[in-house]
Amino acid sequence: MAKRTTFAAVAAAAAALLLTACTGGGTDDIGGSAADTPSTGGTVHMLQNADFSYLDPARGWDGGVNAFYRLIYRGLTMQAAGDAEDPNAIVPDMAEGLGTASDDGLTWTYTLKDGLKFDNGDPITSAEVAFGISRAWDPEIGIGSPYLKQTIEAPEDYLGPYQSGEHPGIETPDEKTVVFHLKAPFPEFDNVVAQVNAAPFPVGTGAGDEFLTDVIASGPYTLDSYTPGSSIQLARNEHWDRGTDEVRKAYPDAWEFEIGLDPATIDERLMAGQGSDVNAIAGKIQPATLARLQAPEFQDRLLTAPAMCVTYMGMNTTKAPFDQLEVRQAINYAIDRKSLQTASGGTQFADITTTIIPTEVNGHKDFDLYPSEGHAGDTETAQELLAQAGLEDGFEFTLDIRSQPLMQAQAESIQQALAKINVDVHLNVIDTSTFYETIGTPSQQHDAAITGWCPDWTSTASTMVPPLVDGRLITEKGNGNIAQINDPAINARIDEIKAMTDLDAANAAWGDFDEQVMELAPMAPLLLEKSLVLPGANIAGFHPSSSMTDLTIVGLRDPSQG
Amino acid sequence: MIRFLVNRLLGMAVVLFLVCLFTFVIFFVLSPDPAVQICGKNCSVEAIDQIRANLGLDQPFWAQFWTFISGLFAGRTYGTGANMIECAAPCLGYSFQSSQPVTDMILQRLPVSATVAIGAAVLWLLAGVGGGLISAVREGRFADRFITGLSLTGMSIPNYVLGLSLQFLLVVTLGWLPFPQAVPFGEDPAQWFANFLMPWIVLSIGAAAVYTRLTRANVIETLQENYVRTARAKGLSPGLVWRRHALRPALTPIVTIFGMDFAGLLGGALITETVFGLNGVGKLAADSITKNDQPVIMGVTLLAAFLVVVGNMVVDLLYTTIDPRVRVGSTA
Amino acid sequence: MTFTSTELEVEGATGGEPGGEPATASPPASGRRLARTFLRDRVAVACCVYILLIVLMALTAPLLVKLSGYGPLEFDQSAVDPNLGGLPLGWGGGIGAEHWFGVEPGSGRDIFARIVYGARVSMTIALLATALTSTLGIVFGLVAGYFGGRVDMLISRVMEFLMAFPALIFMIAVLSALPAENRQYLLVLVISFFGWPYLARIVRGQTMSIKEREFVESAKASGATSAQIIFKEILPNLTSTIIVMTTLAVPGYVGTEAGLSFLGVGVVPPTPSWGQMIASSVPWYAVDPAYFLFPGTFLFLLVLSFTVLGDRIRKIAESGEGRV
Repeated sequence: MAKRTTFAAVAAAAAALLLTACTGGGTDDIGGSAADTPSTGGTVHMLQNADFSYLDPARGWDGGVNAFYRLIYRGLTMQAAGDAEDPNAIVPDMAEGLGTASDDGLTWTYTLKDGLKFDNGDPITSAEVAFGISRAWDPEIGIGSPYLKQTIEAPEDYLGPYQSGEHPGIETPDEKTVVFHLKAPFPEFDNVVAQVNAAPFPVGTGAGDEFLTDVIASGPYTLDSYTPGSSIQLARNEHWDRGTDEVRKAYPDAWEFEIGLDPATIDERLMAGQGSDVNAIAGKIQPATLARLQAPEFQDRLLTAPAMCVTYMGMNTTKAPFDQLEVRQAINYAIDRKSLQTASGGTQFADITTTIIPTEVNGHKDFDLYPSEGHAGDTETAQELLAQAGLEDGFEFTLDIRSQPLMQAQAESIQQALAKINVDVHLNVIDTSTFYETIGTPSQQHDAAITGWCPDWTSTASTMVPPLVDGRLITEKGNGNIAQINDPAINARIDEIKAMTDLDAANAAWGDFDEQVMELAPMAPLLLEKSLVLPGANIAGFHPSSSMTDLTIVGLRDPSQG
Repeated sequence: MIRFLVNRLLGMAVVLFLVCLFTFVIFFVLSPDPAVQICGKNCSVEAIDQIRANLGLDQPFWAQFWTFISGLFAGRTYGTGANMIECAAPCLGYSFQSSQPVTDMILQRLPVSATVAIGAAVLWLLAGVGGGLISAVREGRFADRFITGLSLTGMSIPNYVLGLSLQFLLVVTLGWLPFPQAVPFGEDPAQWFANFLMPWIVLSIGAAAVYTRLTRANVIETLQENYVRTARAKGLSPGLVWRRHALRPALTPIVTIFGMDFAGLLGGALITETVFGLNGVGKLAADSITKNDQPVIMGVTLLAAFLVVVGNMVVDLLYTTIDPRVRVGSTA
Repeated sequence: MTFTSTELEVEGATGGEPGGEPATASPPASGRRLARTFLRDRVAVACCVYILLIVLMALTAPLLVKLSGYGPLEFDQSAVDPNLGGLPLGWGGGIGAEHWFGVEPGSGRDIFARIVYGARVSMTIALLATALTSTLGIVFGLVAGYFGGRVDMLISRVMEFLMAFPALIFMIAVLSALPAENRQYLLVLVISFFGWPYLARIVRGQTMSIKEREFVESAKASGATSAQIIFKEILPNLTSTIIVMTTLAVPGYVGTEAGLSFLGVGVVPPTPSWGQMIASSVPWYAVDPAYFLFPGTFLFLLVLSFTVLGDRIRKIAESGEGRV
């Protein structure tokens, strides 16, 4: 189950990936001026193309908006700071510590810290936490992350606090304690309460359209002004107590999000750095801008956000000839990943991958089952495999792609590479808005599709590989297993690893599992698309990531500037 | 006169109703299920049904169309119970993407489109009418041929090609203009002006070319009319002949076409706004089309049609007052 | 009355300029004299030559590409720098003996080959759309003008409706919602759907005046059917108008196709189109202006040539009237 960001972000070209920078593990970007420690005060500007999906965390759920929510909402747990040793780790937020599970794994208990308050000064107790979480069950509002609903026990007819009252699966024995009853053991439950829709809200608030234009903040900032599609201004939440928060640094006094800017405009402004633009950050730069950033002043500022998502081509195993293992393997051999990389912006913007799990996601294992010289494709081996399958004269298939320049460039590269083994690729260009609907509907999808996949959390690979290959998850609509592979051994192995309570052991197992899957070649992993970002000269503490950039540790070196 | 007005208003209402219906039918038939789109990838069938019910998408076509039309005049509500959302008239619905009321989204962007339209209109009127007059006066001579050639060129250059060329020349190569960046007029008038200068030029050039040709042809034609010759023969000063007898009738068609052009532009200059990254109604349309945000596309289409139809009517009225030759109620 | 707007956005989408409506119909002028007048006009000849060149280019695209060495879809990794975002290596976007017009950033595809194949798309769509629009415009215009009354009322309302419609927004919306297969024909259909009223309006007006003339009356008196009168008596008298209007319409459609491709709803990749090339050159214009200048110049010159040509033909037709 990937975040909806997967689609939106990858789709909206530069726009979304801007915000969605992630990991930024400590060592990656040291050397950039942005690694300095920020001072308190000033206003950080964020330049972006796309608007945030929703101010309400029960509704929104994608990399860009998750980073934004982190500034105004808190949860029981959260992803570690962007500059932490393991930025993928889950750490306590409003809770004293991580959750404690009962022996049967069905009951998880959290204890709240003292001194937690909303932006109106009201205290945050277990009741507010339970209420905020129960909003996820409201059929109209709870359209964000699905994990709360998937894991916490609730009656079939429970429809959220506005229609059905208090959540029967969440207990609040006292003001400080929250107890969750699960449907089934879920060793990674700390990741679930770190989801953005687990934010607290005062009991009874947030019905209807209330949170579409306003917020009730629990984090260090609160909404100052909001003009949809154009700007968002955040001011300090005076009631947030720094002492209760080990992760958020909240250096600047205010945030200003400028929305609806053209990606090229953003690049120009960051390069020019006029006025308040020295205090600006943004998403990834355009490949075309890179050539203009060769001067040392730019090179010092340029940061790389490693990729947390994989771009892959799924092959529909229910359709001939992709029902034959040799054919799928031949395709894996024949694809010229080097040319794909260049077409996607070159070495600075994409890494070649032969595994499903990206390098930066915990659990990654390095292997290459279908090697070729310089990753430029091995047409000989591919042709031999095709001959084995009785297809020495080649075949033709239809590739679903999104009508977006980068995707089209990638598809055209594959078309060219496969022409060398007499495979004729028809490109079926689908409008961005309907692309996922088409490829997620088995009756509508064609032979193959190029798409992206991101894990819902990066601390383990449990949300990375299984949704793509679990045969039991194939559905009529909204299907994520576009290869439609349903292999008993794979299905069984998923259950085994998911049951492991030792998360380190599970991660190692996921790496091996990745290789086990790739032996069946239901897909061809292609690229890890990185982002290059150019923060303003006065920005410090910026650790961009392609899944969620930690905005709470960003600040200005000299708040008097700009 | 009153009968003429009533007739025109009725005709206007019919055209607008048809535009509504036509757009609605097209999206009803062509569009993918917006509920699936809103719900995202991991979405249950129940959730999709719930969204459909909320948006009224489970209703039959005519019911949906009726709700839309009545929403325009009387407002409507979404959802039920505690989650009910009210949308006051004129309600164009809510964006599927941002959940904002479409009416607000359009109103917010109208000033940008208006700024673009007004500036461009001033430019093209000055250049077009001025150029046309010079051309007419110097008919057949160098200035005339030069201006005619220039206007043919202006008509031929696609506005995105012109926009990008200007940006390359003035901003990147010569550095005469700062990179376009939206700032309010009060904050930095110079930057504000620089920001809109290129869109104004780009939008006005094509129209200026057409207006030049129109003015030239009309003035030359009028100067040959009998009554102008008579006025000259009577010994009226050339200036007076020009002003009273030649210019006014020659410029009447300009007024009419200007009304239409200007009204059309107010509804958003889609390509120009996209090229220059201006957050006007045109860009809103382009963005919502890529996101398949039907309510917004509907809203923008309706607004544009409304402006054109109203512009058409205003022009009709003006025409009857400026040009005594046109009888009220005539159809041509 | 209804006025034609200038269609500031997709220039010429209206098919012909609103300003100078061709003068009233006249019997066809002597062909030889027109040709002579025309050939003396150097600008017009130059425009003709350019248009013929593009047509020739479109027709012989596969041959030309063999000559230049690279196909329109062929990637050339050696021509771009993978460490600089895929920027073409060398001067002017990689112009040289290998790639005459340089290469596309990222993929290294040959721009010459893409221009040549793009000409095919531009010409096919523009000419087909012109043919369809003209047919529709002439038929509806004749019918409305000749029969008058209810028929005229109905057709006029439809035209009014179509002209009030924000065509550009609508074309984009419809094209983006429709499946991508056969996009070229869909483009022609959608463009023509909104384009025909502009010609029909003028044809209608002229038909109305011609049908009052004596020769039509006498044909009626001698028992000719409506169809005979329309096609044998009236249509020949509209020839010069139609020629002028259609010539003026072609550049509009060339521009519209490029505009729609520029906005991403035109022809589907990997088919090259000039508008699409211009669109993808946008982010690169600062570092690789050649990538923008080639398709931009070709497109501009083609539109200009058709516009000038139409203008000249109209002048000749008008002056021809006086002389014959």
